[in-house]
Amino acid sequence: MKKHLISHEPKVVSLPDEKFSFKNLLKDIFLTEIISGLGLTLSSLFKKPVTKQYPHEKKEAKQGFRGLHALARRPDTGLAKCVGCGLCAAICPSKCITIYTYEDVNHDKIVDRYELDILRCVFCSFCVEACPYGAIVMTRHYEYASYSKEALFMTKEKLLKNWDDYMSDEDALVYFKKYWGPREEDFVGHEGQAVFRNNK
Amino acid sequence: MDIKQMPAIDKDTLKSENLVLNMGPHHPATHGVMRLLLELDGETVVKCTPYVGYLHRGVEKLAEDMTYLRALPLTDRLDYISSMTHNQGYCYAVETLLGVEVPVRAKFIRTMVCEMSRIASHLLWIATHALDIGAMTVFLYAFKEREFILEQFEALCGARLTVTYPRIGGVRNDVSQEFIDSVYDFTNYFPSKVDEYERLIDRNRIWFKRTRGIGVITAEEAVNYGLTGAALRGSGVNYDIRKLFPYDAYDSVDFDVPIGTHGDVYDRYRCRMEELRQSNRIIRQCIERLPKGAIMTKDAPKVTLPSKKKVLTSMESMIHHFMVITKGPINCPKGEVYVATEAPKGELGFYFISDGEGKPYRMRVRAPSFVHIAALPKLCEGGLVADVISNIGSIDIVLGECDR
Repeated sequence: MKKHLISHEPKVVSLPDEKFSFKNLLKDIFLTEIISGLGLTLSSLFKKPVTKQYPHEKKEAKQGFRGLHALARRPDTGLAKCVGCGLCAAICPSKCITIYTYEDVNHDKIVDRYELDILRCVFCSFCVEACPYGAIVMTRHYEYASYSKEALFMTKEKLLKNWDDYMSDEDALVYFKKYWGPREEDFVGHEGQAVFRNNK
Repeated sequence: MDIKQMPAIDKDTLKSENLVLNMGPHHPATHGVMRLLLELDGETVVKCTPYVGYLHRGVEKLAEDMTYLRALPLTDRLDYISSMTHNQGYCYAVETLLGVEVPVRAKFIRTMVCEMSRIASHLLWIATHALDIGAMTVFLYAFKEREFILEQFEALCGARLTVTYPRIGGVRNDVSQEFIDSVYDFTNYFPSKVDEYERLIDRNRIWFKRTRGIGVITAEEAVNYGLTGAALRGSGVNYDIRKLFPYDAYDSVDFDVPIGTHGDVYDRYRCRMEELRQSNRIIRQCIERLPKGAIMTKDAPKVTLPSKKKVLTSMESMIHHFMVITKGPINCPKGEVYVATEAPKGELGFYFISDGEGKPYRMRVRAPSFVHIAALPKLCEGGLVADVISNIGSIDIVLGECDR
């Protein structure tokens, strides 16, 4: 136990009972506390306003913001990185991701449909953390309110378009690497554990 | 008919009945969807019956079908005002169940962000409480500082309210230097802001009339009703889980526990205002003593997710990654655990029964708001209708947590 824990003395914060005095009577008559409080509000009249006029004055989301989803494209082929392992669907707490895959003639697993219901999503970013390939990301875009449900039901094509719209420029790629890409961490191989050879 | 021809009223046969008044479920002062059935005799409350459950989502039942990691975002939605402390309480309970030790740096970060969350929660409380009672200015002043904290959360983890930042075995990501710097700046000027709020209402005559001697509950009654947090400390009981059963880094920081003596609305208000200053102290100390090191434990590969680099380079990590996500923690111990933490509202407890699978057999949340609402009839009965508002405000409830 540390020292201050043994001396666990509480701090009494309640005010003592008021006694009648001439000073208190004057306070009652002239309401000095209320005037002092009003003085504070008056002084803030001469300060800069802190409110933002939202629709006219937009605020950019901070780096690492968990906004609209996007499916990452491979830089070499331009196809989706997603391999359809289904981990994002497995970890999703609101079960809003559905993946349909099939086997083609070369016995490759092809992602047929990747559906994400934005209206059910809780934006926990677990899908991004679960994805071993960094295939699904969250962009900084947050203004996508719509009057129709269809517009907020994301298919694979729409998610790839989100990537083109919000994540394809240079800044976004840096952002992607920093927040959604592989975490930088020194690899420490445990004893008896298999390690990839090229990794030094 | 001429008034003189009317029959005389026989005073003995006149009956008077109590008026039944429905307050809520969508009353702005009930802080959510809670219905109070008030039985009034004139202005006096004779009987008060709270009805809860309008925000029931079945969080406890949902968690039974989810792995421990997957159920974490559910705890954000319990108390959406201070989701950080609820995440932390959940993670701490699961860590106790699975026997996971958190690195020191992660402990300090968690303590720091939880105290920030406590400040945000108390600021929202003082804002709405004062607004209910009639002091509108405090609302606007308190939201300025709350906005700063929410912005810091956004920079830290990408979300303002539902953060999902603490994880089983550590925290989601490391804090940046800008975050530390700006929060440290904030701790420099924040106590003067608390003084400002107090200057607005603390000695105000009207505030005195509305809060002093209202909703009195003695220490013994408060303990019997199971009140915790500032609602209990306002009655003069020195009970703070952060001091008595320290978790995370609370045993290595110095802070005072404020208590009141009268047990009325005013003393509960004083306690929370002092807690703002004490939380500020804790944040300061956490930043000053923040050690270097890992933010996620490396000793429990079967519980935590490995880094993505590892997933693609090591076979074991790949298997663990898939297993932890789909089946939950591997080799879960059987047994049950109850762990309590100090949320801004009071004692937040998580009770788990584990049957050895990766998901809880039963999860039970001991939500302080639910217990506090049970004490509401005690506070309100015998008082005036207008004081019901200040009583609801003073026990600081949030209905997402109460109804679960």
